[in-house]
Amino acid sequence: MTTLTINGQQKSFDAPADMPLLWVLRDVLGMTGTKFGCGIAQCGACTVHIDGKPVRSCMLPVGAVRDRAITTIEGVGATPIGARVQKAWLDLEVVQCGYCQSGQIMSATALLATTPNPDDSDIDAAMAGNICRCGTYVRIRAAIKRAASERQS
Amino acid sequence: MTLSARSVLFPVVVVVLVVAGVWFVRGPGPMAFSGGPKVALADYKSNDPTGVPASLAKADLIARGEYLARAADCVVCHTSQGGKAYAGGLAFNLPFGTLYSTNITPDKETGIGNYTDQQFLNALHRGIRRDGARLYPAMPYTSYTYMSDADALAIKAFLLSLAPVQATPPANTLTFPFNQRWAMGFWSALFNPDTRFEPDSSKTAEWNRGAYLAEALAHCGECHTPRNLAFALNNRNKFAGALTAGWHAFNISSDKNTGLGAWRDQDVASYLASGHADGHGTASGPMGEAVDESFSQLDPADVRAIVAYLRSVPAVASTSLPAAVAPPAPASPREGAMADAHGKMVFEGACVSCHGWTGESSISPFATLTGAWAVNDPDATNVAQIVIAGTKRHAPDGAISMPAFGNAYSDGEIAAVANYVTARFGSKGSRLTARDVADLRKQTAR
Repeated sequence: MTTLTINGQQKSFDAPADMPLLWVLRDVLGMTGTKFGCGIAQCGACTVHIDGKPVRSCMLPVGAVRDRAITTIEGVGATPIGARVQKAWLDLEVVQCGYCQSGQIMSATALLATTPNPDDSDIDAAMAGNICRCGTYVRIRAAIKRAASERQS
Repeated sequence: MTLSARSVLFPVVVVVLVVAGVWFVRGPGPMAFSGGPKVALADYKSNDPTGVPASLAKADLIARGEYLARAADCVVCHTSQGGKAYAGGLAFNLPFGTLYSTNITPDKETGIGNYTDQQFLNALHRGIRRDGARLYPAMPYTSYTYMSDADALAIKAFLLSLAPVQATPPANTLTFPFNQRWAMGFWSALFNPDTRFEPDSSKTAEWNRGAYLAEALAHCGECHTPRNLAFALNNRNKFAGALTAGWHAFNISSDKNTGLGAWRDQDVASYLASGHADGHGTASGPMGEAVDESFSQLDPADVRAIVAYLRSVPAVASTSLPAAVAPPAPASPREGAMADAHGKMVFEGACVSCHGWTGESSISPFATLTGAWAVNDPDATNVAQIVIAGTKRHAPDGAISMPAFGNAYSDGEIAAVANYVTARFGSKGSRLTARDVADLRKQTAR
């Protein structure tokens, strides 16, 4: 039996230590907000936070999480930055098909936590690993800047 | 000086010069550095350094042979990519053409099914095939020559217990004069000592076991010792590191700065057994294969013995490497090396999500770049190869892998990201070009 802290709650389940965290989230715990994209940490759709840092859950063996806190798209709105990011996403209607957007929001939230006023190069560095097939990049960039500016307002 | 005195003196001088030349070219043997008195195996009083560990002492011949074949790592070279184990066909891309490994399954036509014991010993100890033709030293018989007859024949018993596979490797494409196998007879006469392992009675039983495993079986020197002009091992720089098969086999002498001198015993043991030691990086490429197929399956006491032996190898500094590995890079992409904007673009898209901006991975210590020789090597050879081919190891938390980017990125992009990675996470950035990467791809093409 493994116990993880996910979005502030303790969750216990049976899974082999080498199962990727993404599988545990989606298939074992039924938390399907986090998406499977490529399975090799190259698209960003599966991004979650481990102790606040963005991590590709498809590559992370669940046994390697240990006692670190996990935040997923289901819980990120409970943080002030996450809430601002989600609001900016809605205000600017960033989403098109939506498949990559959980990962985009998780990466954007982690960026704003360390860099409250990111410029374009900060956004490139933090978001380049999150791919959007619909090409919503322009709105993603604008929404990140809006979420950052709303902190000041 | 009279004419007759001169006619006597001249041949003497020639003979002396030839003997001195041969002595110089051959250099010392792989275990000459230990300096102590060598005794015949039969006269050695302590534990027998040959054979299998105590746990297998009562096992049957085939099981003992399987352990020894693992320790000698036969399978890695005698299996082609995606091919049947031990059926041969793996390509060795050399500057003068391509060699293919042979089928050593017991198939009577295409394998070694008809080898007698003596013929098998001739191949392992002397580099002579069943038909009398010479083997090329890609088959490391100058190392296996130190193997005891009993151990070599146990390996034969194991190989002959396998299912025969009918498979003929592609024909070698070596150019003249390298396609003249008979000429290897001269090479062999010069560079194959054709002698069995002799323990050093001044050393511990553990050291002797380690020496036997490292030299007669694991053949570490075949990759880690530089070669001379005749492509034979130059043991004056034993274990000082070399470029082998398109990868940099790093310095494993006891040099404090560029070798294993500053590693703790448990770090070296962990690197051998799991392919990783915290703070020292993770094995990939040929060393990764050696870990998977050989070292990870050895008895822990045998791994410790190899470590004890490695510790005793004299320090030789690698001048191509910096004197110290770099500490973690800054957490912000704005700080640290800015060397290559193109490389940074590739890195932030494909690499940073696992390796992080500091080089310390939040996924697994196996993916941490900080401290690894690969990123501190100003030639970036292994960084480029790992990007091209990817890597996979078995961490305690489960398998951890990096995808192969060779088909996704151009030679120029791979050169750029390698230059960025070595500048950011190493002591001195590399200056690879697209042409260098194309050349590295050729060397590892299978």
